Amino acid sequence: MSTVFDERAIPGVPPRPPILGEGQTPTTLTNQISEMPLSPPLKTPKWWLAGFSVAFGLLTMFLFIVTYLFMTGIGVWGNNVPVGWGWDIVCFVWWIGIGHAGTLISAILLLVRQQWRTSINRFAEAMTLFAVSCAGMYPILHLGRPWVFYWLMPYPNTLGMWPQFRSPLIWDVFAVSTYATISAVFWYVGLVPDLATLRDKAKNKVARVIYAMGALGWRNSARHWSNYEWAYLLLAGLSTPLVLSVHSVVSFDFSVGIIPGWHTTIFPPYFVAGAVFSGFAMVLTLAIPLRVVLKFEDFITLRHLENMAKVMLVTGWIVAYGYGAEIFMAWYSGNEYEMYMVNNRFHGPYAFQYWSLILCNIIIPQAMWLRSVRRSPFWLFIISIIVNVGMWLERFVIIVISLHRDFLPSSWDMYSGTKFDVGTFVGTIGLFLTLMFLFIRFVPVVNMFEMRTLTPQATAKEKAE
Amino acid sequence: MQDHSTTFMPPDADLERIGRRGLIVGIAAAAVLVAGAFATGNQQQFFRSYLTAFTYVLAGGMGCLGFWLVHLLSRGQWGVMIRRILEAGAKTIPLLGILFIPVLFGLHSLYEWSHKDVVAADPILRHKAAYLNETGFLIRGLGYFVLLTGLAFVLTSLSRREDETGDPAVSHRMQAIAGPGLIAYFILLSLAAVDWMMSLTPHWFSTIYGFLYVISMGVTGLGFVILMARWLGPEGKKAVPFQDRHYHDYGKLLFATATIWAYFQASQLIIIWSGNLPEETPWYVTRLHTNWKWITIAVVVLNWALPFFLLLSRDRKRRVTRLAPIAALLMVAHWLDIHWLIAPAFSPSGITFHWLDFVAPVALGGIWFWYFTLQLRKRPVVPVHGPYLKEALEVSHAH
Repeated sequence: MSTVFDERAIPGVPPRPPILGEGQTPTTLTNQISEMPLSPPLKTPKWWLAGFSVAFGLLTMFLFIVTYLFMTGIGVWGNNVPVGWGWDIVCFVWWIGIGHAGTLISAILLLVRQQWRTSINRFAEAMTLFAVSCAGMYPILHLGRPWVFYWLMPYPNTLGMWPQFRSPLIWDVFAVSTYATISAVFWYVGLVPDLATLRDKAKNKVARVIYAMGALGWRNSARHWSNYEWAYLLLAGLSTPLVLSVHSVVSFDFSVGIIPGWHTTIFPPYFVAGAVFSGFAMVLTLAIPLRVVLKFEDFITLRHLENMAKVMLVTGWIVAYGYGAEIFMAWYSGNEYEMYMVNNRFHGPYAFQYWSLILCNIIIPQAMWLRSVRRSPFWLFIISIIVNVGMWLERFVIIVISLHRDFLPSSWDMYSGTKFDVGTFVGTIGLFLTLMFLFIRFVPVVNMFEMRTLTPQATAKEKAE
Repeated sequence: MQDHSTTFMPPDADLERIGRRGLIVGIAAAAVLVAGAFATGNQQQFFRSYLTAFTYVLAGGMGCLGFWLVHLLSRGQWGVMIRRILEAGAKTIPLLGILFIPVLFGLHSLYEWSHKDVVAADPILRHKAAYLNETGFLIRGLGYFVLLTGLAFVLTSLSRREDETGDPAVSHRMQAIAGPGLIAYFILLSLAAVDWMMSLTPHWFSTIYGFLYVISMGVTGLGFVILMARWLGPEGKKAVPFQDRHYHDYGKLLFATATIWAYFQASQLIIIWSGNLPEETPWYVTRLHTNWKWITIAVVVLNWALPFFLLLSRDRKRRVTRLAPIAALLMVAHWLDIHWLIAPAFSPSGITFHWLDFVAPVALGGIWFWYFTLQLRKRPVVPVHGPYLKEALEVSHAH
């Protein structure tokens, strides 16, 4: 070892690509982000009115369908024997999965110090809340008697009734409601300083009062900030296990049963990875048009899109590993039911759905290995839609293919959703989009105060200190 | 003691000294191991102890390679300071391949499926024979080591080029290889876990088993990295200017991997226990309904419950003198974990510990450690022309 190393020769940090677009200052970005929530009612953009009308129309349709469903019973859906779970649980799991990106971005990426999360965490968290709301619809709708939903909770009662604590369905009640609560608190806490900014900038008196109530008396004092930082970090720590637990519990809904195709030990991590995969796909689906209509290309840059594409590649491969492990172990187990299940997926009546799922979730996303695809909003948008479809198909394949040929061949039957299944699903999309449009209109879509710390001015000050 | 902190040269004399110690202890233990096998006439026990030690020590190479790949792919600052430890670990994979050879001689002592008469009488094993057969075992074993050695060597040679030229294109190249490399790593080691460990109970299967073994190796490997980082750092030989914030990151990573291990274990148990199927439960009946249950409890407490609470403390993660004992604890605990995965297959009725079980890991570990120090001595202790070194060296009190 003869070479003596000269410290001066240490290369500087090769520029990590900038997170913000060039020329942004704290003032410009605050003005740009707060423009939408603060614009007066009559200056609401046309694209917003159009989009909101469509979304609200779908929500109204949802109201009609749900009313009909409650009056008639869930027989209007396609569920039958042996497929007792159909579109309802497929869509439930699909929505819950989408809800995973928000907390992953806000909590885990915060803990691992990924600053690029700042531009996307606010609306990813909002997306999470809305997706979980949509998911929450399904178990309640499926109850048949939705007005007694509180029976799911363990409470002392004269009916002598108590939930079955060995059932993951009851774990789901706790997991999902905890997740929804913590996500809402996390989202709101992160919103407080921005609501204070809106309060201070608002010209309209009504808006000022409403934002002031939301801002909870935030005055930007050092003490407020110190408390805020601690609260946020602790909430991130609390949310992190939730990212894993919720979808693990959802996977237990299936895997603790003994149905081939459901009962396999890889399910928890594989479901979590699938959830993050679909969640990031949905973030892309929303972010790509949003950055154009709101002119946020400087905040949600190509680098953000590229990073999200990378997260999708990683989680997509974990999902692929899960598919592979299932197939290999089905054969390795030597269990005829397991082998039949795989064979039925490959060649059975739902083979088209199975192979479409492989195409959507595994084959097409491989295009993201190319940097040019990762940096192309157009192609990423297409891929994100395909993955959303693929993840829906995945749940369909898992649920329907395993159930439609159960252990008793005499009860085998085919399953397909009815127009009410489709209507319920499209209706929840309406609910989701309605909430999303309201959020875009009244709340800053991007976190303003965290974005200010990413401007050159913020770092210059730090260096001067 | 010479101060190496400005030259980033490895503390050669010290490394040679501890490496030699490792070699002496390793060879002595190996001699005892072989002598013990002959003296007791218990060839079977020799192979059982050897397999446990081998699958455990493998973590030194594979754990390091895994974290190196993750670091290259994510380009996180955390990996810069330990990169050379990871690289040296990854370069020991060919030695581990050589240490695999004795296992091949013990197939009949270890694996039920290697006996033709047993297979012929068992329809399930007949079905599996297409995979579980001696030729397949040999070819696959060779394949795992050749491919992973190849991966480690391609990356090491690029890393050497990066040291010489500082060309950012080389660093990008490494990142590009790390992606597919990580996929191959998981697939190969999952299959290895099936071959070497899961097939000891040839009827039993679990799809999460590969992940369980890989994460177990991750914890052991990271524990070793932390011990090395302490030894090389300001509290030790002062060769690498580690700061508290670096140790903090490794502490957090250790916390996360140990917890993920527990998550995988819990998932497997909940699913198999609830399903209650006769082809799956025997594996747990052995471990929960015989006196193995005490070892099961110890495995859970030592691998997760205790370190989880210890590592919650920020201070314990930041001060390496307090972090290192936890890392060492986890390394020992994962030896117990591997023993718990393997030994009940041979002794389903109750706990077994043979004295060779304790000698074998010392023998393999000592020899492996000597080889590791040889690798570490070859290059500067940090990637001097790697990206983000400056960022990693910056003195900061943040985080």
